[in-house]
Amino acid sequence: MKYLACVFLIFIFAPSFAYSADDPVMRAMKLYEKRHYEEAAAALRPELPSMGQSRQGAAHLMLGMIYMKSAELYRELYQESLSASQDYYKKLSAARGQSRSRFVDLYMGEALIEAGKPGAAAVYLEKFAADEGISPMYRALAKADLGLCHYLSNDKQKAETLWNEIDTTDPEVSVQLASIFGRVGRKDKNPVALCELSLREAKKSRKSPSIRMVKNIISVYVRAGLTDKGLDLLKHADARAYSYREVLGKSKVINFYDPSLLGDLSMLYGQACLAHLEKAAADATVRDPAEYYLGEAYALFGSIDLSAKVTASFIAASRMPQQYKDRIRVWQAADQYQKGRQTDAVGIWDELSRKQQLDPDLLAEILLACARVRAECPMIVKRAENVVESGEGKKLYALNFALGKYYLAKKNQSKAMSCMEAGRDKSNKNKIESNDPLMLVDLAGLYYRNKKFSEALEIYFDMSKQFPAVRQIQETMQGVYAMEQKSAGDVKIF
Amino acid sequence: MKRVLLVALLLVGVTFVLSPFAEAGSKKDGRPDGGTLNYGEYGRPATLDPITSNEMISLRITELVFNGLVGINEKQEIVPELAERWEMSKDGRTYTFFLRKDVTWHAREGEEAKPFTADDVIFTYKIMMHPKTITPLKVRYEFIDTVEKLDDYTVRFTLKRPILNALAKFSFKIIPRHGPANPLYLTREDPFVQNPIGTGPYILKNITADREIVLTANDNYFKGRPHIDKFVAKPFADQNIMTQALMFNAIDMIVLVNPRDIPEIQGDKRFVLQPYNALSYSFFGYNMRNPLLADKRVRQAFTYAVNRQEMLDSFFNGQGTIISGPFAPGSWAYNLEVQPYPFDPEKAKSLLRDAGFTPGPDGIMQKGGKKLSFTLKVPIEKESEAVKRVVLAFKNYLKNIGVDVNVAFEEWQAWKEDVFLEHDFDIVFASWVFDDSADISSLFHSAEIGPWKNNFIGYSNPEVDSLIVESKLTLDHEKRRTINRKLHAILADENPYTFLWTLTNYAAYNKKVRHVAIHPYKFFSFADEWFMAEKDQN
Repeated sequence: MKYLACVFLIFIFAPSFAYSADDPVMRAMKLYEKRHYEEAAAALRPELPSMGQSRQGAAHLMLGMIYMKSAELYRELYQESLSASQDYYKKLSAARGQSRSRFVDLYMGEALIEAGKPGAAAVYLEKFAADEGISPMYRALAKADLGLCHYLSNDKQKAETLWNEIDTTDPEVSVQLASIFGRVGRKDKNPVALCELSLREAKKSRKSPSIRMVKNIISVYVRAGLTDKGLDLLKHADARAYSYREVLGKSKVINFYDPSLLGDLSMLYGQACLAHLEKAAADATVRDPAEYYLGEAYALFGSIDLSAKVTASFIAASRMPQQYKDRIRVWQAADQYQKGRQTDAVGIWDELSRKQQLDPDLLAEILLACARVRAECPMIVKRAENVVESGEGKKLYALNFALGKYYLAKKNQSKAMSCMEAGRDKSNKNKIESNDPLMLVDLAGLYYRNKKFSEALEIYFDMSKQFPAVRQIQETMQGVYAMEQKSAGDVKIF
Repeated sequence: MKRVLLVALLLVGVTFVLSPFAEAGSKKDGRPDGGTLNYGEYGRPATLDPITSNEMISLRITELVFNGLVGINEKQEIVPELAERWEMSKDGRTYTFFLRKDVTWHAREGEEAKPFTADDVIFTYKIMMHPKTITPLKVRYEFIDTVEKLDDYTVRFTLKRPILNALAKFSFKIIPRHGPANPLYLTREDPFVQNPIGTGPYILKNITADREIVLTANDNYFKGRPHIDKFVAKPFADQNIMTQALMFNAIDMIVLVNPRDIPEIQGDKRFVLQPYNALSYSFFGYNMRNPLLADKRVRQAFTYAVNRQEMLDSFFNGQGTIISGPFAPGSWAYNLEVQPYPFDPEKAKSLLRDAGFTPGPDGIMQKGGKKLSFTLKVPIEKESEAVKRVVLAFKNYLKNIGVDVNVAFEEWQAWKEDVFLEHDFDIVFASWVFDDSADISSLFHSAEIGPWKNNFIGYSNPEVDSLIVESKLTLDHEKRRTINRKLHAILADENPYTFLWTLTNYAAYNKKVRHVAIHPYKFFSFADEWFMAEKDQN
């Protein structure tokens, strides 16, 4: 929906574009249209420094849009991974005996910290740290995490004591601590310098940083606002890599992953999105479309106040057609809702949904806003359902997805699933070129929670071709599936 | 005291007599009974019993006609079916099933319905495991040591060893002791396989002259009478015609939509498209009995020679996914680190050269006077336009590397006899459908080579055998997963098949059929709950 709008916008408001197929912005846009966000960014970003001033604005706008989609997607992936990881580690940790995984305690602890449960996390991390069979490096990592648990549980003294005891000679440990310092705002510990030092050490020894290191350094860079450095580091990383491979005999190998990598990527892309859209908004040639996206981007990754300011300015001054102003009013109302002006917000959405009954994309935008801020919008839902009931299939993909998203926010899984299924292009059911990957991730999550594992895994299998970091979700869900599957062992000829 | 006992016995007696009638009848869920559901199948089943059949069309029918001791619900929970409860010993080796006392077998014409008892369970197990019974099920139940009847409604299975998911394996369908003509073993010649009776929600009424299979609601079904009066399985030889039959309301449901027809059905608001059955894939299988195909390099060369993505894009509109090994991408056992062989004809030629083949005067590669010339057998029911193109493309790809392929289309039954019984083929094109156990033992274990067994290619590899056995013996899910990943990697390298793709699988049905839940493998497991509003029943 929005990507179609953006294509329109760029053509309208960026007449300075070179329209040849070789133009980096055009190339990136084509990839963006296919939802190949990572390829699109990889194609455009390196070209940015050498592009003429007249095209810089358009390039920043394009990059901002690409990173916005990426950030939203990775945020969703992070939530799914975190949820599936906890399921998987819980099952693994229930095992007893000699072949029980040791590292499940470390990774369960880390997943629980991410899930905001430092108390429960500490139990696992203490168990792991007390295990005499593990290497000093991993014990140190667990102690660093344990310190974080204490810190988050408001026992800062205990956290400091633990952190001070840790030997930071190993770069893995050093950057883990740096990441934790960054997370709790300890600028005095200079987390960026710790990371730089570790990277230099790794370079000297010609070792590529592990994915755990990459994740930790990205986390530090994000919090220090060093977006470009984060993106540069990511360029050389294998997002598919496991964080740790535990070998428990010849026939038992478990790969562990960090869900927080996906969360950090989401934050990194969110920052990149804001940075590029702000630059684009400073360029008169693309100011209107840049502000159009910036309003939403601030609400998603920045501040509601900034979002409100940009949307107000856009509505007042933009030369864009009314349909775009209407959309931005939807987001403006969402800002109001979050600021406590619920009645005003719902009133605006209601008015817009009446006014534009024939515009299913606007209705979809309203429903997505309702879902995002967890607002009750029954009348709008009713209108949307009427449109879906009477309208024509393909034109209503976005509205079906939005309805699904609304029901998902309301925890009505069966309705969410049927709406999203209705919004899926079934000819290419798992292809991101035909289906918004955000919708596919939500649908996969619904399948997973309803134990339709193979459907969920099929979605991620296709998605992994463009977004390699989803490997962690694939492996984790496979693990849960292997433990949950119940069948007799049948196979038949088709 | 005696009086109390007498009253109690009388009550029990009454319960025994009345319970079938007390439980049977309407489901009392407020949904209407009535209507006929006509559904389209691509082809006809060879047999209709749950023991000898090895194809999906039969499986779907047997799901309507029979029950297992246990079932698996939509939440992947084991639920009671013919057994109302069970007990498992602490060591996981003994399973005692307490059977329902209110179940009767479908009555044959002019006969009284007979009660279902423990004898039927024992009978089913014994006939299934009899050496002369031709069934793919044996390999799945070799873990059972003994079965004994404790009383008319109690049976005990003792396992040779505890296994993972043992309870789920007792979902095998029970057949009546008075069913087969031969009480010792079951063959495809036994009248029972064409005219079976079961305990399930639907009774096989007749097979029409047009080979339509008509099933009627079982009024005495122990879970309550199913809502829809009649199910009719209509065979189609052409998938396009089947889609048109749905569009023109001649049928209400298609169990597997032709991928090319999805857009047409999706655009019509009368129908629902529902994804299911993600665990299937197509392949070219190589007969290892042919010494030329026994060379791994030859098989690998064939896989490098075919452009699978091009075939998928051209013949199936790209509606599927290329796979790298013996599991579907939706399976928990799929090894994500193994990548499909790329399309690389030069590599293919080089492998053939390494294997000692050189081009002959006619351009066909040969070694020691033996040409790389093979017969590819394809069942005629699968002679859809897309499949025809796939096999012809395969022939052309192989021609490019100096390999000659003769494509032979055969009638379904003849194809099955050539492939499963006589093993008279060089290459086959076929597809497997798996339940979610990812059990490939019947496909690749050397003990499964033999008449009517699934390892029809005759693949034998001690390492694979040993891993399959290890996978079956372990009680550790993660170990089983690791072993399966290893199996995936080995079989991808060994290339007994050219693993092709898994396709987009959708069922389609008219919205007049309500409350539809589809089992991802067995399809009709929950069909007794489906219904049609009274206005839609005509």
